[in-house]
Amino acid sequence: MGPEVVREDCAILGLRKRGLTVPIRTPLPLPTTPETHITAEAGLSLGPQMDLRVEPLVQLDDMVVQGQPILRDRRRPECIVTAPVSGRIIGLEIGAGRRLTSLVVATGDRLEPHIYDAQQARDEMAGGSGSDALRALLQGAGLWMRFRSRPFGRVPAAVARPAAIFVMGADTRPLAADPRLVLDGEAGDWVKLGLAALVRLCSGPVHLCQNSGPDIVPSMAGVTVSRVGDLHPSGLAGFQIYRHYPAEPDRPVWDISIEDVVAIGELLATASLPATRLVSVAGPGLRETRLVRCQPGADLRELCYKHSKPGQTVILSGSVIDGAPSRWLGYHDRQVTVLDSSNSRPQQHWLDAALRRASRPEPIIATAAVEQALGGLMPGMALLRALSVGDDEAAQELGALSLLEEDMALVDYVTAASPRFSDLLRASLDRIEANR
Amino acid sequence: MMRGIWNRETVALILLAAALPVAATWLWEEGVTGGSRLLLAVIVGGLWQGLFTALRAQPPSAAGAVSALIIAMLAPQVGPLQFVLGISFGFVFGELVFGGWGRSVLSPAVVAIMFLGFGFPSAAWPVLAIQIGWATIPAALLLLAFGVLPWRVLAGALVVLVLAGGFSLDLLTSAVALALVFLVCDPATAASTSLGRWLHGALFGSLIVLFAASWDTASAQIAVSAALLASLSAPLLDEIAIALWRAVRRHRHG
Repeated sequence: MGPEVVREDCAILGLRKRGLTVPIRTPLPLPTTPETHITAEAGLSLGPQMDLRVEPLVQLDDMVVQGQPILRDRRRPECIVTAPVSGRIIGLEIGAGRRLTSLVVATGDRLEPHIYDAQQARDEMAGGSGSDALRALLQGAGLWMRFRSRPFGRVPAAVARPAAIFVMGADTRPLAADPRLVLDGEAGDWVKLGLAALVRLCSGPVHLCQNSGPDIVPSMAGVTVSRVGDLHPSGLAGFQIYRHYPAEPDRPVWDISIEDVVAIGELLATASLPATRLVSVAGPGLRETRLVRCQPGADLRELCYKHSKPGQTVILSGSVIDGAPSRWLGYHDRQVTVLDSSNSRPQQHWLDAALRRASRPEPIIATAAVEQALGGLMPGMALLRALSVGDDEAAQELGALSLLEEDMALVDYVTAASPRFSDLLRASLDRIEANR
Repeated sequence: MMRGIWNRETVALILLAAALPVAATWLWEEGVTGGSRLLLAVIVGGLWQGLFTALRAQPPSAAGAVSALIIAMLAPQVGPLQFVLGISFGFVFGELVFGGWGRSVLSPAVVAIMFLGFGFPSAAWPVLAIQIGWATIPAALLLLAFGVLPWRVLAGALVVLVLAGGFSLDLLTSAVALALVFLVCDPATAASTSLGRWLHGALFGSLIVLFAASWDTASAQIAVSAALLASLSAPLLDEIAIALWRAVRRHRHG
């Protein structure tokens, strides 16, 4: 594939400005330089879509070094979880069906990170053909699980070749950190190396989605730059895939965040995994907004408690619209939202609650807010109606295969829909996947 | 964790707020007679909504009050018994059996008014004062500002009406303006795709032009008949728009 750089300026005159702003406050000033904060404990919270059936590679009380493989999936050896930090395994519980119940690592002395054998992959990138060594390296180092394959949002199979890869260099979730902040210093070179590796993995274009600022990387062979708007949900991979390269069952499209591409570049260049991740800690429950570099799976209580407002707070891993209360930073999350308890649901009268529970759910009315919450791209009401009545065929034809739960989070927020469209979309995707 | 506000009842309350200037103007004109008609319509509509809430757990909607107002304003002048029958038919078979406001194809006001119009053809149709037409302007602006009113439907209808009327507003009588804003642009029953909305508005405008040219009857009957036919074809227009969208997308993405 020859060099191609396609520019799309959606924001000319603001005419195609699509999306919504979620009204959530955070204390000012907003930090621009991250501080490093390694928490005393780190855990693992994988999303339900990972469906990891665990085979532990270490025992309780073992000492591990950062980046060392500690868990493997029994059925898919390409799925590997690495140690977030050097230290001791103080919690390892496996529940029914060999699903992980908890994994906790206590941070120990700072040790040299685990070194992988990246030489073969480097040689292959320099001159060889194929991508076998590169795949083996990414799978062995646990970076394979950072890819999300659409349709259905699973970890891709070991030998799969995507039709396109979308690299998300923009994040429009409320109070999210600017992904450009991860590109300082050596990361600027690593991202190019990582993108070159993605081009090798992929049989089609690699789309780099970034905002309207300066280019993240100079023009590269096989990399297409897509500009996204500043308003949510345009910075979600789902809507970019929907717009530029719709996913089909026989045409999988992967997405990965730019920080993980930097990690791939760092693995190729230094043979070790990055120790930290850039995380925005913000929300109305804090006294100051923070931007931290912490280990993956950091302890959210420790990140927040010295900076929280007095009184009860709720700590969400993820943004206010798609996050969930959690003790540990989620596997794909790059932000923490702290709400004060006044934002949580007030106590309802029991009669009111009973009447609401007994009544049929109210339908969604097609207002401009609903249209904007779907990015204004699709026949949105038709898709929402297909999802609410469980018409999988219509949903598939309207583009549901490019979307995941997170893409419906804004509609759920705007309309306070019940049942949530995120859940309806997941149920629909599961049915489509089962019937293939 | 946080929930937004754009659920069905918020939209219904905004519709109700937008209907207030129209209601005030109309009551000013009609006085006690109009007031009692409105009260009767609200009570009958509310009773049916309450019955469906109790028996079928279908939550009632404030949009029923807007429908009652439009029925009181546009329905032909029939006796109280016939009026109650018409309102009941409109609310039950136009809306409630489909699952309430937001799930029905037609507005209950359209069904009730057409039922009375065709069922009692000798009854006189009301003539709305010009002030009511003016009062729909703030209503439309309020609904547009909140994004409740689908602007493409409004624009499509206005373009056709203004072009066909030779760049005058002769075709846009008070009844037509009222039907356009509250019956055709009802977000629950209007078309939901961009192209479908343009076509929906344009179809309403074209029907008004056709009826005005060839049907010698009151402006209210013309307006509501056009609204009925346009609302009935809205799902078809949506289907056409989605088929076109899919063809374009298949061409572009393979």
